Amino acid sequence: MAKHQTPLLDQLETGPWPSFVSDIKQEAAHRAANPDGVDYQIPVDCPSDLLGVLELSFKDKETHWKHGGIVGVFGYGGGVIGRYCDQPEMFPGVAHFHTVRLAQPSGKYYTADYLRGIMDIWDLRGSGLTNMHGSTGDIVLLGTTTPQLEEIFFDVTHKMNTDLGGSGGNLRTPADCLGQSRCEFACYDTQDLCHTLTNDYQDELHRPAFPYKFKFKFDGCPNGCVASIARSDFSVIGTWKSDIRIDQDRVKAYVAGEFKPGGGSHAGRDWGKFDIVKEVVDRCPTGCMSYDGAKLSIDNANCTRCMHCINTMPAAVKIGEETGASILLGAKAPILDGAQMSSLLVPFVVVEKPYDEIKEVIENIWDWWMEEGKNRERVGETMKRLSFQKLLEVTNIKAMPQHVKEPRSNPYIFFKEEEVPGGFEHDEAAYRQRHMR
Amino acid sequence: MPSEKEQVLEFLTGKTGKSKFYFSDFCKIFPDKKQREVKKVLTELVNEGKLEFWSSGSTTMYGMTGAGKQKAEED
Amino acid sequence: MAFISSGYNPDKPMENRITDIGPRSFEEFYPPVIKKNKGAWDYHEIVKPGVLKHVGLSGDVVYTVRVGAARLMSVTHIREICEIAEKHCGGHLRFTTRNNVEFMVETEAALDGLLADLASRKFAGGSFKFPVGGTGACVSNIVHTQGYVHCHTPATDASGPVKAVMDDMFEYFQSMTLPAMVRISLACCLNMCGAVHCSDIGIVGIHRKPPIVEHDRLDNICEVPLAISACPTGAIKPAKVEIDGKKVNSVAVNASRCMYCGNCYTMCPAMPLASGEGDGIVLMVGGKVSNRISMPKFSKVVVAFIPNEPPRWPTLTKMVKQIVEVYAKEARKYERLGEWAERIGWEKFFELCDLEFTHHCIDDFRDPAYYTWRQSTQFKFTKHIEA
Repeated sequence: MAKHQTPLLDQLETGPWPSFVSDIKQEAAHRAANPDGVDYQIPVDCPSDLLGVLELSFKDKETHWKHGGIVGVFGYGGGVIGRYCDQPEMFPGVAHFHTVRLAQPSGKYYTADYLRGIMDIWDLRGSGLTNMHGSTGDIVLLGTTTPQLEEIFFDVTHKMNTDLGGSGGNLRTPADCLGQSRCEFACYDTQDLCHTLTNDYQDELHRPAFPYKFKFKFDGCPNGCVASIARSDFSVIGTWKSDIRIDQDRVKAYVAGEFKPGGGSHAGRDWGKFDIVKEVVDRCPTGCMSYDGAKLSIDNANCTRCMHCINTMPAAVKIGEETGASILLGAKAPILDGAQMSSLLVPFVVVEKPYDEIKEVIENIWDWWMEEGKNRERVGETMKRLSFQKLLEVTNIKAMPQHVKEPRSNPYIFFKEEEVPGGFEHDEAAYRQRHMR
Repeated sequence: MPSEKEQVLEFLTGKTGKSKFYFSDFCKIFPDKKQREVKKVLTELVNEGKLEFWSSGSTTMYGMTGAGKQKAEED
Repeated sequence: MAFISSGYNPDKPMENRITDIGPRSFEEFYPPVIKKNKGAWDYHEIVKPGVLKHVGLSGDVVYTVRVGAARLMSVTHIREICEIAEKHCGGHLRFTTRNNVEFMVETEAALDGLLADLASRKFAGGSFKFPVGGTGACVSNIVHTQGYVHCHTPATDASGPVKAVMDDMFEYFQSMTLPAMVRISLACCLNMCGAVHCSDIGIVGIHRKPPIVEHDRLDNICEVPLAISACPTGAIKPAKVEIDGKKVNSVAVNASRCMYCGNCYTMCPAMPLASGEGDGIVLMVGGKVSNRISMPKFSKVVVAFIPNEPPRWPTLTKMVKQIVEVYAKEARKYERLGEWAERIGWEKFFELCDLEFTHHCIDDFRDPAYYTWRQSTQFKFTKHIEA
């Protein structure tokens, strides 16, 4: 017998897509039965009470959570989000229900052993509910009480060799695509770069001293599967410099239908026979490709590496061998001044251990932003407020046409005094010799 | 000359009408110091249990341990 | 319940403390075939919807089965995932950025066994636990935020609308019939924890009412300067208010400047802003993050307000389906939703998708608004222009 009647939520148990309501009910039943004899450290019925408070929210069309300022564990300024229910008497099991963020391994690969270890801790000390994963990338443990926070931290660090993730005005838990581990498009080792920087910047991640949050995301190629250009302040996106490699025999095999275009990405509908000219050559945004019936040619100097030909014929057309990454800066969500995507700052950087060149860019940006950024200002807003030129200055990067889609269309140019011969001062006497008053 | 830590505590116990402060507020106490040095002072105070963090989820602030009107609600 | 200590000593928090260790190394978690072929993959195919085949330069093959999941999952469910990984995949698995789970095997026989096993598992309520799909020209899993489950400022729920939309989009998740991939994302308020502003279809919760100000208790539980400094638009000012003949300190909110971000509520529990009648959803379409063919794009507002209709959000799901179906019919192969809308023109998009164009769809926010108006005589005649 369910603790709370949930007629609205019950309607989300039907339909084919995995039902989170069924899953929470499953957990509620499991905790009630407690087949493993766990001495649950927070209320046994918190999944039932979560369903109860959610049902109430569905009825009211309003949330029933309050924020709390608790941030984490001793010495850390992030990793925990404080949550309190605003109907604690009706739902005592979730009266205090804080989120704990754990740092996920790069690429989100796991072993069953490891995940079970985390789950055992969370079963004992938390609600038994999670998010796999949060929007930023962390393992999110959903709901526990204040006294359990230190215990969870002690357990995950000692037993699982795992740390908390970030929250608040600090470096957030970095995230990456699976990169070279299982993708032929990846232009650098996203996992290694993500992991290395996460560890090198642990102090920035746990002890906030930034004006606001700061996110790193690492995409292996311009397809952007981890959405770094939209979702991270500092976006590293793989790219290449040398010629796209073409296997002409395999091109012929695609034309002959031996390989499916897109690896079969469009196989569910009859789009007709693969037409390399119509589907690849004519769709090339720069028009730098041609096909003469036997040979595919690319004018690489005019290629902007959009990935379309590579995506469409992955077996035949491959990224160039001289690979690296582009660095873009400043994506953010709409509040306050509208959403932003990251803007290109470093067109090409070689991505090699120990990544000093990339770290230099990061640290120059942080020094500037920490000095100049206003409270609660993302670096993308600081850039907008103080100009892209200023960003170039503090990162010691020379202005180049790649930085813009087009040059400015207004002539309101702010010249620095030292850029004008003789500075801003006029020789008034000489002027008056040439012009009568 | 009070120590850096004492200056921070002095600032926090002074009449500000607030119990929580942004990192940048502390940088103003030490205009000649780099932010990273200011952070070290604050981190030491946190590790001594004298200061604690407060987070809105998206931003984080520093305050004297246990201070603030919200605190009572949360315990 | 007896308190079980982890070994932590509250009197000496720094004793035996481990900090700053970060995540576990990814190296520990790679399946052997992944470890061996990392950086040396030749090409990939999508064998069937939800099943990827990667071929290494070594000749090694790995099959990946992608299954959809609700990102909110229980310990019990994760243990079941672990059990599947141990039974079929040597104990290895991974999650994707879009909340899918991936199981990897090396032979076709293992693949068949895995697929049959996954198909057989259902929740008690009847939904699939592990639906296979989410590859190629499909609707993949929805990236989303917390909603009513755990957030204090949501303007809509997340898990509920996601379940309702994915039920409706299920055939597109399990097939590859669309002109290109369609990425749907949901953020339960404008703070957009998930930054969904570059999605083919973005579902965004919005509040429409400034916060309540509980003058009778505000000064007792909030620090007025903190509430004031929390506001990104400077809409909050200190105010003296008279209650029962007594002057109390409080704040006043300038309603016309409020962006309903909820930051003040975060700082001050006496300023709640949730409203059953005020809150709802904005539908944004045509964004993308990929650089394929065209540059990344922002999503654009095409429906300015959809009321919250729990538990299944019928108006929302109907509109999403309408847009996806028209796109599926009209767009060219490889054309993303936004590329299609730009090719045919947004006026045509509204006509074909049968969406009402209202004044709310015209940008009026600061300078960038001007650049979205039409400085041209080029337009298409649609039903919107009356004779």
